[in-house]
Amino acid sequence: MPKEPEISLAEKTFVLEALKQNLRVDGRNIHSFRDIQFSFGDDYGFVDVRLGKTRVLARISAEIIRPRPDRPFEGTFTISTEMGPMASPSFEVGRPTDLDNTLSRLLEKSIRRSTALDLESLCIVTAQRVWSLRADLHFLSHDGNLIDTACIATITALAHFRLPVVTVSGEDITIHPVTERVPVPLSLLHWPICVTFSFFGEDDDGEMVCVLDATAQEEALREGDMTVTVNKNGEVCQISKSGGVAVEAETLMKCARKAAEKVKGIDKLIASALRGDEIARNKGNLDWLKEGRSENER
Amino acid sequence: MEGLRNDGRRWNELRRIHCQLSTSSTNADGSSYIEQGFTKVLCNVTGPAEPSSRQKVKQDAATVTCEVYFAAFSGTDRIKRGRNDKKVQELQTAIQKTFASVILTHLFSRSEITISIHILSQDGGTLAACINATTLALIDAGIPLKDYVCACTSGQSTSIFDNEGSTPDPWLDVNYLEESDIPSLTVATVGETEKIVALSMENKVRIEMLEGMIAVGISGCAKVKGIMDAEVRRYGKTRLEAATGE
Repeated sequence: MPKEPEISLAEKTFVLEALKQNLRVDGRNIHSFRDIQFSFGDDYGFVDVRLGKTRVLARISAEIIRPRPDRPFEGTFTISTEMGPMASPSFEVGRPTDLDNTLSRLLEKSIRRSTALDLESLCIVTAQRVWSLRADLHFLSHDGNLIDTACIATITALAHFRLPVVTVSGEDITIHPVTERVPVPLSLLHWPICVTFSFFGEDDDGEMVCVLDATAQEEALREGDMTVTVNKNGEVCQISKSGGVAVEAETLMKCARKAAEKVKGIDKLIASALRGDEIARNKGNLDWLKEGRSENER
Repeated sequence: MEGLRNDGRRWNELRRIHCQLSTSSTNADGSSYIEQGFTKVLCNVTGPAEPSSRQKVKQDAATVTCEVYFAAFSGTDRIKRGRNDKKVQELQTAIQKTFASVILTHLFSRSEITISIHILSQDGGTLAACINATTLALIDAGIPLKDYVCACTSGQSTSIFDNEGSTPDPWLDVNYLEESDIPSLTVATVGETEKIVALSMENKVRIEMLEGMIAVGISGCAKVKGIMDAEVRRYGKTRLEAATGE
């Protein structure tokens, strides 16, 4: 397996000493994210999220299947993540790294276990037909913080996705094409967003240095990390800190509160990006949009 | 019956903890067995030994590897969990990373320490029991650690505030029924300091509740440390007496 190039001693000392004075190599504040950029594809549920040089592509697809016999009212939702050499030469296809496992479990816990997606709303005919949703994540470039980027991409793609309208009459199920009926958005109950903190030991005042949105270089040098998943309502959906440097409980609580604050900002960014796309998409044929909605401008 | 949980404990009471060192005398360098209520875990440690593959060789530190085996009969339903099961892998990574930061690995460069854990029975707090068992087995193997790593769970009985605006006490050391009912977290601390080395929560909880849950978890860790330390000292004493023939 090709190894990541090791960071030279001089560089390592420089980065760590700077962090102790709360300075970062790229000039950011220790608690600030890089710019988040969204670009949407022609289809619904296709989004490309960039966080600095990190780039993740999410694609939602849906098909109709027979539900599991023990859960006849529920649709299914799976998240598939696969890292290849596209993101970083140290990732190999078919041989999952630790990061790969952590990432897929974290997304699972953050989005699926916190019931962000109402699975019962995906039911078409009980015990007969349900929607099966699938989120495919492609990692195009790795410059740190893949977890947060992947989570933002998945949530944005889910919020952007539209299911075709299905009508049931007796035994027949009709799927109406997008051109015939306006497709409907998924029922997302909340938007869980992951925020990862990287710990770099204590600074001169004896306080733990907690950095947000670490780059690949910072990730290689960090002593420990913690991922907190919060939604904008201040509900913590998941916390995981496995190993690494031991941190005071008070510091961890501060991190959790910081995460809740950050998530509100990210939530707004996602919402405004989605609104921007909707406006761009419906340019010129807004009448068509009005017809499909029950509400109209009064 | 006011204020009692379904198994008769109060909010701040642990379940019975029974622990043993050197449970497997031939196969491992260190071994332990722990029961926390009905959660039962067996742990073997081998090493420091020559790494099993060249990939695992680190020039300046020992490599810590962890293998977790769930017995098919350990839960309420008979489930066979293979090696590639995501949950097994997550548990392995969590334990491996936790101990890699606590074992003084720099003393054993180019060697490997293998932790293998067998989960015999699950009744809530599996991760916590695994971490506690591993600490004991590492002590039995004589591998230098910074301090005991003790883990405990805690849960929040309701997710709403009562009329006075205060939250009810979090529950210490949740069992399987409680774990599937209420939001709970696992916290692992180093020794008697309140420094957290591992923290894991999988349910949705209001951020205001978190602090209380962590605080109760940490107090549980201190209690667990006392129990484990007493057993280590008792076992050490019997070994010493056997060796000196008294």
